[in-house]
Amino acid sequence: MLKVVLLVFLAELWNTAGQVLFKKGTNAIEVRSLRGVKNHLVFLKEIMAKPAVWLGFGSMAAGLVIWFIALAGADLSVVSPMGSMQYIIILIAAHFLLGEKINFLKLTGTLLVVLGIVLLSLS
Amino acid sequence: MKYKGYVTLKIFALLVLNDALDAVAQLFLKKGVIQTGITSVTFGNVWEFIARNASSPFVLAGIFIGLANYFLWFVILYRIDLSVAMPVGSTIYIFVPFMSIFFLNEHVSALRWTAIILIIIGIHLVAKSKELPKGLA
Repeated sequence: MLKVVLLVFLAELWNTAGQVLFKKGTNAIEVRSLRGVKNHLVFLKEIMAKPAVWLGFGSMAAGLVIWFIALAGADLSVVSPMGSMQYIIILIAAHFLLGEKINFLKLTGTLLVVLGIVLLSLS
Repeated sequence: MKYKGYVTLKIFALLVLNDALDAVAQLFLKKGVIQTGITSVTFGNVWEFIARNASSPFVLAGIFIGLANYFLWFVILYRIDLSVAMPVGSTIYIFVPFMSIFFLNEHVSALRWTAIILIIIGIHLVAKSKELPKGLA
């Protein structure tokens, strides 16, 4: 049980690292506009040229592997409510690593989403 | 870009599309994996399992949709904060119960309704959380 909880937490940390790296990648892009097919192709090319994005994919893959290991020995009724912890980890990571602001609305809203997902998994 | 950073209707639509495509990709992958006919993967059949998956049109379609969806996610992240995109991109938790209510006539308990309503309010609050610049508010 404790092992499963730790594994899920570890998987979520890797996922969070992946998302933060993705965001670092898109933050570093300066495209003038995202209108039309051509601009989207330029955007795609720039994304692919960012090492952060590839590191992000690597982190995601690591997260996925750990997630599968956790699922193999686990009761889904334990694992699925824990999935909502991801939102809180992302919120904290985005604040400290990306400088995204946390205000009352964002915090309350995120907590309501988390609570809702936990309730859904219990119902 | 006047609205950069704000959850406009267009960004919201992209987030919903991202969620929906994620569900579709997973369904395709699941269908493909089931079609391999292999129910337990061991060291003996792992290569056969991989080979069958790699030649399954469902698995390939699932992977393709998944990759296209990542592109969509990058477009979304380019426009809005990660800490906004994550919670607002949880519309799947609303649509799946709603679809099972309307198409499968599933019974919905008070607890589930409460959960759905909490998620809707939460998404709304996060989507509105970016403060307008001074003078515009």
